Amino acid sequence: MNGLLDPASRPARHASADSCLEPTFRDPAGQLLLTNKYALRQIRPAAREETLAFLASPLRTTLEQSGDLIASKIASVGDHSLIGSDELWLEHPRVDPISYPWEWTTAQWRAAAELTLRIANQAVAAGWTLKDATPLNVLFIGPRPVLVDVLSFERRDPHSTVWLAYGQFVRTFLLPLVAAKYLGWPIEATLFTRDGYEPREIYKALPRRQRINPAWFDVVTLATLFERPGAKQSEAKQRPSARDPELARHILERRIARLGKQIRYAAGTPNRSRWSDYTQLARHYQAADIERKQGFVRAVLARLRPAHVLDIGANTGSYSRMAAEAGAEVVALDSDAAALEKLWEMAAREKLAVTALVANIARPTPAAGWRNREHLSLLDRLAGKFDLVLMLAVIHHLILREQVPLAHIGELAASLTRRCLLVEWVPPSDPMYQEWLRGRDELYGHLTEDDLKQAFAPFFAVTDRCELGNKRVLLLFERIPDQASVTTETKTPQQEASGA
Amino acid sequence: MRLMRLLPLALILVGAVLLSERPAYAYADPGTGLLAIQAAGSALVAAGWYLRRKITMFFHRAEPGADNQQKNERSMNCEDSRYS
Repeated sequence: MNGLLDPASRPARHASADSCLEPTFRDPAGQLLLTNKYALRQIRPAAREETLAFLASPLRTTLEQSGDLIASKIASVGDHSLIGSDELWLEHPRVDPISYPWEWTTAQWRAAAELTLRIANQAVAAGWTLKDATPLNVLFIGPRPVLVDVLSFERRDPHSTVWLAYGQFVRTFLLPLVAAKYLGWPIEATLFTRDGYEPREIYKALPRRQRINPAWFDVVTLATLFERPGAKQSEAKQRPSARDPELARHILERRIARLGKQIRYAAGTPNRSRWSDYTQLARHYQAADIERKQGFVRAVLARLRPAHVLDIGANTGSYSRMAAEAGAEVVALDSDAAALEKLWEMAAREKLAVTALVANIARPTPAAGWRNREHLSLLDRLAGKFDLVLMLAVIHHLILREQVPLAHIGELAASLTRRCLLVEWVPPSDPMYQEWLRGRDELYGHLTEDDLKQAFAPFFAVTDRCELGNKRVLLLFERIPDQASVTTETKTPQQEASGA
Repeated sequence: MRLMRLLPLALILVGAVLLSERPAYAYADPGTGLLAIQAAGSALVAAGWYLRRKITMFFHRAEPGADNQQKNERSMNCEDSRYS
């Protein structure tokens, strides 16, 4: 039965934290509710026996021990008011913040795809299979991808030579990477495609010569030629099988291995951009200034000991790393995917608690999916969750490139941090400010540090200051507690315009 | 020449893999084109798997005094006949 059409599948009860969120409802086997601390998964009666069998399997133990699969335990009635006495619920730790595939770098896509294939391979060997294989089933805990959908597992027909989720893997993992690398379709565009790209879409867009590229000739060209849009349902629902289970397993393993090669080819070499080498090439910073800036940030981290840090405009992650090494869980944002890819690679290599999100804070990722409730907007996921927000050399970008007034930037920062904000103020005399000023001196050429302090005054008080040799200034702001409610009640421009 | 005699067997195996079909109950859309290339890919891998076994047997047979290998070969031939 389709979960979407089944009235019983509709969430009758909502957890308090994200009541506007309906993260999963398509899977007929169960639904998910999020609380502040846990992800609670209700298992419908039809899937109960299969789920319990998986939970008791050595495969589940192996995957949980390796960290590839989210931890699960059967939730007890006493622990959660949502649970009825005759219902089966699983309790998983809450992964926060959720990162969506349209906010991942190419390297993260590759890591998530390889995780999925690794698990699929282990499942085949253990007599199980993944019934779905989409990036939406993977979340990043720090830099590490983790499969979070325990209901993806089902027992495998030992004779079947078909992996039913193969098509979904190709559409949702492989073809977006092919499209990004060879067609220049931005990976962020996957926000608009729940089920990825059809082979025909890629086939039509690829130049003729690329259609015979052996790396995707099968999944793009052959798959398009074999498409039978008018096929009868009975034809479409047949699958080949082998009489020898050993042969069936060999075929499945070879198929998964081939997908692994295709993913590695499509993910390709890392991109480079102006910003990805920015810290090495920056000429407006002398070694002494860098040292002074790092010393100040390190001292702030040591004094505040923040548990959660948001690094806006993280670039390649020098300060995210510093915060993670000081014991914080860090969320690093940057709109430059190439720079953030370096950050993610560093965090993965050094096992730092840094979650990398490709996002522009000035145009944050919107809510998406069914009724805009399947996937939360970026700000909904970040608001009020941080002890310290870093905005190092970011504000001049917001002013000059995004044309956001200082007061609005202060208001945004106040909605993100619970305690402190560390800003690097870049004055109009700075070469980077001048580069983006582009003759608009009358509008932006007069802004001073005092203007910044005044604009932020309704939300923050300055508690520390450090001026660098290049005239840039580091300012530590502390949130004014009694203003918190003012922020949430502030009207949006649309409300103001409508007189609401 | 012996390998050439194996070709019809390989083709029969390919046919067996392609024609032996069971109903599929997918949760995710398996597609039509992508499902078809799985079937074709299965047949190719099965043919390679079958031929590799035959080639292995061919060279093992050449080794002298391998009674056990002959027994193994007989048993594998029995197994292979299931694909025809």
